[in-house]
Amino acid sequence: MISVVKPGLQTSVQDFPGRIGHMSLGFPPSGPFDSWSFRLANLLVGNPVTAAGLECQFLGPTLRFETATIFSICGADMTAKLDGEPVPRWRSLDAKAGQILELGAARTGARTYVAVAGGLDVPVFLGARATFQKAGAGGFAGRALHAGDQLSCLPALPDARAGRQVRDEALPPLDGRHQWKIDVVAGPHDDWLAPEAIEMFLASPWKLSGKSDRTGFRLEGPAFTFASQAYDKPIENGAEPSNIIDFGYPIGGINLAGQTPIILVSDALTMGGFICPFTVPSASFWRLAQSRPGDTYEFNLLGVGEAQAARRLIDSVCTAESIV
Amino acid sequence: MAETIETIAPGNVWKIMVSVGDEVAEGDVLFILELMKTEVPHLAPRAGKIAAILIAEGHAVEAGDTAISMI
Repeated sequence: MISVVKPGLQTSVQDFPGRIGHMSLGFPPSGPFDSWSFRLANLLVGNPVTAAGLECQFLGPTLRFETATIFSICGADMTAKLDGEPVPRWRSLDAKAGQILELGAARTGARTYVAVAGGLDVPVFLGARATFQKAGAGGFAGRALHAGDQLSCLPALPDARAGRQVRDEALPPLDGRHQWKIDVVAGPHDDWLAPEAIEMFLASPWKLSGKSDRTGFRLEGPAFTFASQAYDKPIENGAEPSNIIDFGYPIGGINLAGQTPIILVSDALTMGGFICPFTVPSASFWRLAQSRPGDTYEFNLLGVGEAQAARRLIDSVCTAESIV
Repeated sequence: MAETIETIAPGNVWKIMVSVGDEVAEGDVLFILELMKTEVPHLAPRAGKIAAILIAEGHAVEAGDTAISMI
């Protein structure tokens, strides 16, 4: 059992890969935004990568371990302390009953993951323990944690132990950068943009707005111009050039709402009537998750095959072989 | 003794609730950041008087920026 002493800014229970296969019901995948760090956190404590853990955003929680356990902290550096003593990230650690884990503000990056041996025991909803706050579904009571919440854990697997660490070559390169290269694949509606708008999009720095959360990442940058089909279209497509007949949005889609690009991220809406000229593949999501308002993105166009290869590369390090 | 209040997270300054010279009580909201479409209030750590305000509404801040000093 773990008690929440202070909840942090917005701390939620997530599991990997989240709630898959229910977008037709309006449920996005949710799950850990930086699933690279999340999976390593689970592996460190002897869990399968799928086990439920905590995602802490920008300002971490203070937690009390009511029973002894093994835990790990991965992702952004929130200067974690156990009973006041600094504890490292990317390692499995012992917690005694009554010890207090305190996470502060993210010094670099934005999201930190806490895994406990066995994983958090919250009800499974539509096949996942991930929280989808907008619908009040999944996770712990469908919401971010509050002070006083008590989280139960499932039994630890027999080989859970402290003293494990992640091999250096398996770590996501989190170095406090403020400029990020984010991969995109073209489509589904790149042909609605003027050719010069595609060049402009790929050549321009895009600033992450503070009005961004797990639903959408708003970007600030130059204006788009459109191809003729954005104007010469049946009236039911809508009045704006970026309007189109409602369709199912891809997760990672760069949704063009008027002139504002919004990347549809983990808790995104699943349909709507704005075009998505580009899509961010899952392999770049950890970069989005660890960026902060004011950081800039440069987009790098990949083929679908290259995006899938990038995903397989991350999957290949999120295995027990990366833990020593 | 002077004391500074620092921003706890990167974001935009949404509202500043105090002016220089105001007397505040412990726990009063001094200013509110907007981050992840969430309001993040920053509270007075103790009673005192606002000596300086180093942030402006609508401006972006980083975590750890000095926002307000109190005496």
